[in-house]
Amino acid sequence: MADTRRTARTPAWSTLFPDRLAPAAGRLLAALVFLFLLAPLVVLVASSFNTTASVAFPPQGFSTRWYRGVLSSPDWLVSFQLSGLLVVLVVPTVVLIGTLAAYGLTRGSFPGRGALHALALSPLMTPEIITALGLLYYFHGIGLIDTIPGLWLAHSLIALPYAVRAVMVSAAGLDPTLERAAASLGAGGVRVFLTVTLPLLRPGIVAGALLAAVTSLGEVAVTALVAGAHTTTVPLRVFSSAQFELDPSVAAVSTVLLAASVVVMVVTDKFAKISEAL
Amino acid sequence: MAHTPRARRRTRWRGTAYVVPLSVFLLALFVAPLVRLLQLSFRPVDESNAALPGYTVHQYVRVFTEPFFYEALIRTLLTAVLVTVLCVVLAYPAAYTLAQRRPGLLRTLLFVTVLSPLLTSVVVRSYGWVVLLGANGPVNRAFVALGVLDQPAHLLTSYSAVVVSVTHVLLPFAIVPLTTALGGLDRDVLRASRVLGAGPVRTFARVTVPLSLPGALSGALVVFALAMGIYITPLLVGGANQPLAGIRVYDQISTVFDYPVAAALSFVLLLITVLCTTGLGAAFRTWEGRLHG
Repeated sequence: MADTRRTARTPAWSTLFPDRLAPAAGRLLAALVFLFLLAPLVVLVASSFNTTASVAFPPQGFSTRWYRGVLSSPDWLVSFQLSGLLVVLVVPTVVLIGTLAAYGLTRGSFPGRGALHALALSPLMTPEIITALGLLYYFHGIGLIDTIPGLWLAHSLIALPYAVRAVMVSAAGLDPTLERAAASLGAGGVRVFLTVTLPLLRPGIVAGALLAAVTSLGEVAVTALVAGAHTTTVPLRVFSSAQFELDPSVAAVSTVLLAASVVVMVVTDKFAKISEAL
Repeated sequence: MAHTPRARRRTRWRGTAYVVPLSVFLLALFVAPLVRLLQLSFRPVDESNAALPGYTVHQYVRVFTEPFFYEALIRTLLTAVLVTVLCVVLAYPAAYTLAQRRPGLLRTLLFVTVLSPLLTSVVVRSYGWVVLLGANGPVNRAFVALGVLDQPAHLLTSYSAVVVSVTHVLLPFAIVPLTTALGGLDRDVLRASRVLGAGPVRTFARVTVPLSLPGALSGALVVFALAMGIYITPLLVGGANQPLAGIRVYDQISTVFDYPVAAALSFVLLLITVLCTTGLGAAFRTWEGRLHG
């Protein structure tokens, strides 16, 4: 540091904040942050088991009536099917495009690589309302509003940057000598990619696939504008319910979505370090 | 062999084939919609707000002269800055704890805690805040019980509720890169600081924080960009009257059907976002260069 006077001076706040209290204070702060992160989710899960017709916390009694209500509602079931179908469509799309792109961006060298890399991640950095409005207007022109292909493409766009990033982490750690060894032993380019490269990229691909699944399952900012009466996904139905009433069945559906994400995350953690992918 | 023109050309374009699908996809679904939106923002409108052929800057003039729009832009920028600062400040204790923990059950649980909001639908998270902050919700009850409030307050439609819930929604985007940055710190440097007489507070402030700034900054940039355009959470928690650009855009297309002005407002928002994030990134690189140069 150039400024030695400032380094030598004892800062005023160190007298306000004694060193021996620091570790305890840090842990207390961390605990509060974790509590802050969990609080709305805990409240939601608890109120979904409420016996009364209002969303209350702490809940009065325990019942699964709101879950049974959701499962016997045709509207909710149609939405669950649609959300499931979208995951099945979005994940392979995103994994295919994302894996090829991540490999090409990491190992390739061609003009415009940096710009393409930035472009690939830009849907993540674009304020959501702009992506949503852009797709709304664009899809209007080509008749994709309120259609399954429209939602498929929109969800793929939102999920793609996560997959590209996740696979790039794996691709960056890839040892090129392994591919060269396979090539020198006579394997062609396609064979090397399929039998050597792909298995080595697997942790990133799994992380990318599950991030894509979770993104599609929870997406609502863009969905709210490009979906319609025939394509109401689960989060979108939660959104329209939550805007007007506080019905515990919405808490029940949210809990189901939450449980699905946690399962996905625990499974992901088994295969890949999702933390590195983000 | 490697110096034949053909081989050189192949080296120059090595890996291009892999990025063709991505390029086509992004051109068709990201670049093209934005270009069309930009075009729309310059269209004149008739009495029923339908876009007409031709070009005009009328929509941009409206955005910069009508308080309904420009005050929302100012408020959005201030809110995004506030949320970003809150996220980075709150991320430090959480990320520090995560980075220090050895792998084990507790660390996994803490990680699930951090990621669970990120991997949960934004609607679900916002709905949780609606329950928490409701007239009969736990926050109101606690305030009344503690004597902070005489009677339950309207927390739900307040600006503070928007800031709190948006901070909650975006906090994981700050914690994750910061955890990576803190986990990658050289322990010897921290030990050196302690050996040379700096206490834990001073080591944290003068060694840990400066060294982890790249991680904090990359988290801050994502949080800021997302906070500029977020609309679902503020809409659910704060209501449609919050003067935020995302809500104004949503309002224009869902109630007034004035797409061109919504497009113009979006582009001004995007421009501010891009200017701020690139400016911040450049300022940081200058600072870093001076530090090491």
